[in-house]
Amino acid sequence: MDQLLQQLINALSLGGIYAMLALGLAIVFSIVGLINFAHGDIMTFGGYGIFLSMVFGFPPVAALCIGLGAAVVMALAMERTAFRVMRGADVISLLITSFAVSEILKVLFQNGISARPVPISFPASWSGSYQIGGMTIGVAPTASILVTILSLGCLTFVLRRLAIGMAMRAAAEDFDMLRMLGVRANRVVAAAFAISGLLAGVAAVIWTAQRGSVDPMMGFFPVLKAFIATVLGGLGSLGGAVLGGFVIGTLEVLTQAFLPDALAPYRDAIVLSAVIAVLLVRPDGLLPARSGARS
Amino acid sequence: MSDTVLDVAELDVRYGPVRAVRGISFGVARGGITALLGANGAGKSSTLMAIAGVVPIASGRVSLFGQPTSKATPDAIVRSGVGICPEGRRIFASLTVEENLIVAGTAVATPQTAATRRAEMMERFPILGERRRQLAGLLSGGEQQMLAVARALMGAPRLLLMDEPSLGLAPQMVDTIFSIIEELQGEGISILLVEQNAALALEVANHAVVMANGEIAGQGAPADLQSDDLLKSAYLAA
Amino acid sequence: MKLKSLLLGTAIAAIGTASFAEDYVIGVMSAQSGYLAPYDGPAYAGFKFCMDEKMANGGLNGTTPVRLIVKDTRSDIAFGVQVVQEMLDDGAQFIVSSADADPTIAAAQITAADMVPTMTFAGTAPVLTQVGPHVFGSYPGDNQQGAVLAAYARDQGFEKAWLLTSPDSAYTLGGPRYFGEVFEANGGEVVGESTFSLNQPDFSAIVTNIQNAETAPDVIVTWAWEPDFPAFIRALRGAGVDTQVMGGDVLDTPTVRGLGEVVDGVVHTSGGFPEEGSDYAAFIKRFEEATGTTPDNNYYVNGCDIADMIEQAVAAAGTTDPAAVSAAMAEIENGKGTMSNFTFKGTDRMPLRDVVVARITGDGEKEFVLRQMADPETLPKP
Repeated sequence: MDQLLQQLINALSLGGIYAMLALGLAIVFSIVGLINFAHGDIMTFGGYGIFLSMVFGFPPVAALCIGLGAAVVMALAMERTAFRVMRGADVISLLITSFAVSEILKVLFQNGISARPVPISFPASWSGSYQIGGMTIGVAPTASILVTILSLGCLTFVLRRLAIGMAMRAAAEDFDMLRMLGVRANRVVAAAFAISGLLAGVAAVIWTAQRGSVDPMMGFFPVLKAFIATVLGGLGSLGGAVLGGFVIGTLEVLTQAFLPDALAPYRDAIVLSAVIAVLLVRPDGLLPARSGARS
Repeated sequence: MSDTVLDVAELDVRYGPVRAVRGISFGVARGGITALLGANGAGKSSTLMAIAGVVPIASGRVSLFGQPTSKATPDAIVRSGVGICPEGRRIFASLTVEENLIVAGTAVATPQTAATRRAEMMERFPILGERRRQLAGLLSGGEQQMLAVARALMGAPRLLLMDEPSLGLAPQMVDTIFSIIEELQGEGISILLVEQNAALALEVANHAVVMANGEIAGQGAPADLQSDDLLKSAYLAA
Repeated sequence: MKLKSLLLGTAIAAIGTASFAEDYVIGVMSAQSGYLAPYDGPAYAGFKFCMDEKMANGGLNGTTPVRLIVKDTRSDIAFGVQVVQEMLDDGAQFIVSSADADPTIAAAQITAADMVPTMTFAGTAPVLTQVGPHVFGSYPGDNQQGAVLAAYARDQGFEKAWLLTSPDSAYTLGGPRYFGEVFEANGGEVVGESTFSLNQPDFSAIVTNIQNAETAPDVIVTWAWEPDFPAFIRALRGAGVDTQVMGGDVLDTPTVRGLGEVVDGVVHTSGGFPEEGSDYAAFIKRFEEATGTTPDNNYYVNGCDIADMIEQAVAAAGTTDPAAVSAAMAEIENGKGTMSNFTFKGTDRMPLRDVVVARITGDGEKEFVLRQMADPETLPKP
């Protein structure tokens, strides 16, 4: 029973990271139709931001803030330099552009910083643990869950209560109509990229705090899972992305924890089969996006 | 030209090799209603979308309030004083009625002005006030059309572009919408009205333009056109 | 860009030296990107450095000039195979392959036809040499490392081991298994095993399983590399588990040492240790002076040793004929190397070399624990 509870905490912690990454992908996709393959590199850049600021002697908390900022700046720079000129292109052209951006950034990280992982050494207290009713719970997973809840809470507030958030939801539904209400397209798109970058930055912070190293491929694997999460949840659906992230995270942790040894190598295959099974029954995902008027 | 808010001259709209609009010229007088009539596919909506900056102008000239719009984006055109009620209404179904109006106010009014105008809209269209917290997608067709009009009015436009406002509405609701159109004109808003329901459009318009196959088949005062065979032939041509 | 300049450089080198028909042509697979880049890069740098030293003295054994063909593989096995074929077409008589078993095995299939000797930069899975008599390891094999580490663990009184393996690579699967085999042969017990995937996002589930194991282990053994090892150790220590952790030579990196307190006390094997006054320490000094880069891992020096292995094999063969060089390499006994000496004779062409056991300290350093050669008699078979 204790073990199940502990594994559930692990699942929430991992699922939360996937959820934030998936949400970042979904926000951008829903507004500009871009499946941003370079999203992982935004996260990686955030990680390097943390690494470099610690190298330059910033205290850990300041380094984390710099990492967050770095991810936002990278997301905005990406939009401005690569994706703005491609605005309105079809999904495939945009996808290929994002592949190119991703490759370029990986090579830059590799040659500019290091092909090898670089270490990030946070204070030991950050990787401590505490006891609740006989259960040992890590500080890091707990912080990860709290940060995730806080981030998703803030984002919900922005999307539900603030005009810019409403405009982004409107843009997700019918971007052209929003422009016919006088709203500057670049502002909404930039806001979407900024939010997606911020979420990737939060993910990078949690990720590096838990993993202790940054490498050029750091963002690639979690974002791959986040892609699957967005498809599972319903491509372009924000709620679906969050749900998909938690589902994938939970499945991964539970298969890792409870699958018999003989089946362990098939873990990913089992998780993906489950996703395919869901999509067979619900081809548009768990919480399909509203189709709106966009083609 | 100071008596017109919109001037269209020799306008061409192309979709690839297809010339959807072929060198048309007309205008909307200040405070007037121009009805753009014609069968399905005559090029009415393309004309409207070109004026709004949504589809590019292939050749010719569109001037709003005396300024050419050639390279302007839809959002810039709207901010210059144009309201748009597009075909199919295109209200944001997943937002509430109030949120639709908030979004519509973000770019064209200060927060205070926007709040005042929202209150005005809810007063003008009481049904929207009653349903302000409802998802817009759950409104009836007529209510959605009212929301679309209210949304277009959030920027206090001088010119309103309306595309098929009566489409798919119950007859009673059609009457309501047309009385709103007359009301708006009474407040000094100039209107370009694209309408399939020619009879109704001609009742409110002071100028009518009949399109067929992307060209202007004729234009003039509604009274002249009503008696003319032109209108009939334009609709039959499609 | 890098690939282009590399190719260009290779082309220029080819033009410059093509006229010397007697050049010994060595093809080098070197991943410039992807998962192998962190290992191929330093290994190639060390290899090139020592080859250049030899060239300055007239070539191998002072007589045989060498022409290197270096090609990027992007860590892609299929592309690597293509690259090897190109190098053979270009006259390569010796192939130095990427630093892992899988690309080496793939390359060795291509080189088998002409028995072109193929040596991995640092692949340590003993299975890699089973493709044929022309395939060679260069670094002490996982079985040697596992055996020495297991003997050390038993000496220290550890009794219950937990293995953390990944079936995704021969290295991550084999190392802990060899450890377990020798550990049990010496009276220890393997009480559990968890598997992970390379680049697995999260290790908390594994850590929770270890915490809740029926029999708590007193030592956890893994051949996981970066970034998996840092992720695992942080999750483990983060969950309040302070069990001893031991691992393979892949932990011998500044990145792992840079993790701070969480890696304090982690014990790992290694191919060498630059003790004061050793050849290895001298190599580091020479390399630093010449390039300005500090060789901070063993791949540099092992790359240099590969140059020595080739030189000694060519000398023993008395010819550059590929099959003869392969045969001569397999007979080398106690050949002189910089990191350590090497013996191919009597092995499966995975050289028998010293294994070093080192301990990481919390301040980013490592300390020497012991140096030992595995006993060929009790070595676990691949």
